[in-house]
Amino acid sequence: MDDADSDAQAMLRVAAGDRRAFARLFDRHHASVARFAFRFVGNRERAEELTQDIFVKLYRNARAYQPTARFKTFLFRVATNHCLNEVRRGEYRTPRASAAAPDGDDRDGWDREGPQGDRPDAALEGRELERAVGEALADMSARERAAFTMCRFEGMAYRDIADALEASESAVKSLIHRATLAVARRIEALQTGTVPARSRA
Amino acid sequence: MSCDYEEDLTAYVDGELPPARGARLRVHLDTCADCRATEALLRTTVARMAALPAFEPSPASRRAVMAELDALPAPWWARLKTWPRPAVLVPAAGLVAVLAVSLLLTRAGPGAPLALEDASVMELAANLELAEDYELLGLDDMDDLEVVANLHELEVTR
Repeated sequence: MDDADSDAQAMLRVAAGDRRAFARLFDRHHASVARFAFRFVGNRERAEELTQDIFVKLYRNARAYQPTARFKTFLFRVATNHCLNEVRRGEYRTPRASAAAPDGDDRDGWDREGPQGDRPDAALEGRELERAVGEALADMSARERAAFTMCRFEGMAYRDIADALEASESAVKSLIHRATLAVARRIEALQTGTVPARSRA
Repeated sequence: MSCDYEEDLTAYVDGELPPARGARLRVHLDTCADCRATEALLRTTVARMAALPAFEPSPASRRAVMAELDALPAPWWARLKTWPRPAVLVPAAGLVAVLAVSLLLTRAGPGAPLALEDASVMELAANLELAEDYELLGLDDMDDLEVVANLHELEVTR
């Protein structure tokens, strides 16, 4: 049985109230959901809260899962809808990294420390890159951000992203193209020291 | 840049373009410097995303989620599963029976008319009335009894 099938079987057991099956699904997927939430809101604490909310919602909506849909697609549909709803409600505002705080002291903005924090040369590149990506993500529409994050950080196929966003593959292709180009322009601007025009939000 | 192929470039870089369209784009790239430049930029950008530090959630998340699940009320379908157990079903059936009897008695009430639907009840009532007539007349002869039984006919002809 491959991972996708075992996830589907586990989810059916969760629907019947099996907590241990839920714990296994949590252990297997919560880092992915947390990464998605972090890229979506750009803040560690909020990403943790969102991740917890998403898994509680997953448990409560387990009976809505149909084994015909891939489990990860179902999970990311729940995650995307939750993040979109929370952002629309204003509880989780996407922070915009401020150009006035270039040293990374803006704790409400995009977190900028990387794992190379104790290696100054490498850390500079990591922080700058993180900042450029964070700023580009903050400027995107929520759907562009969701599609970009699923594609670039989770390696999901366009078809699965379309299922998660309940959109056509053609729409997803456009979303990912615009988002990737926006990130590319932001990185390019960082390297040349210019400010790029804002992407469509 | 404004080019019909521009929106295909990222899908092409991601290997998500259908083969026929990908082949046409490759031909186009040989003739379009703008698209070649954008394709190179997109490839570099996609490669750089792998260099970003991954966000690692706190291990406390698991405990928090499990605690939240423990605090959830049981869903209706889980509560329904407890019903077929004898410990629940027998007292419940008894309670339903008591309620049904109480409801019938309440509807009948002390002043309610006697239910005459039952044939045996009607026959008993008729015979009681006849017996009362015999006592009043003091009759003990079978012929007299027949006369009394037919008194109503006499009343009609009178």
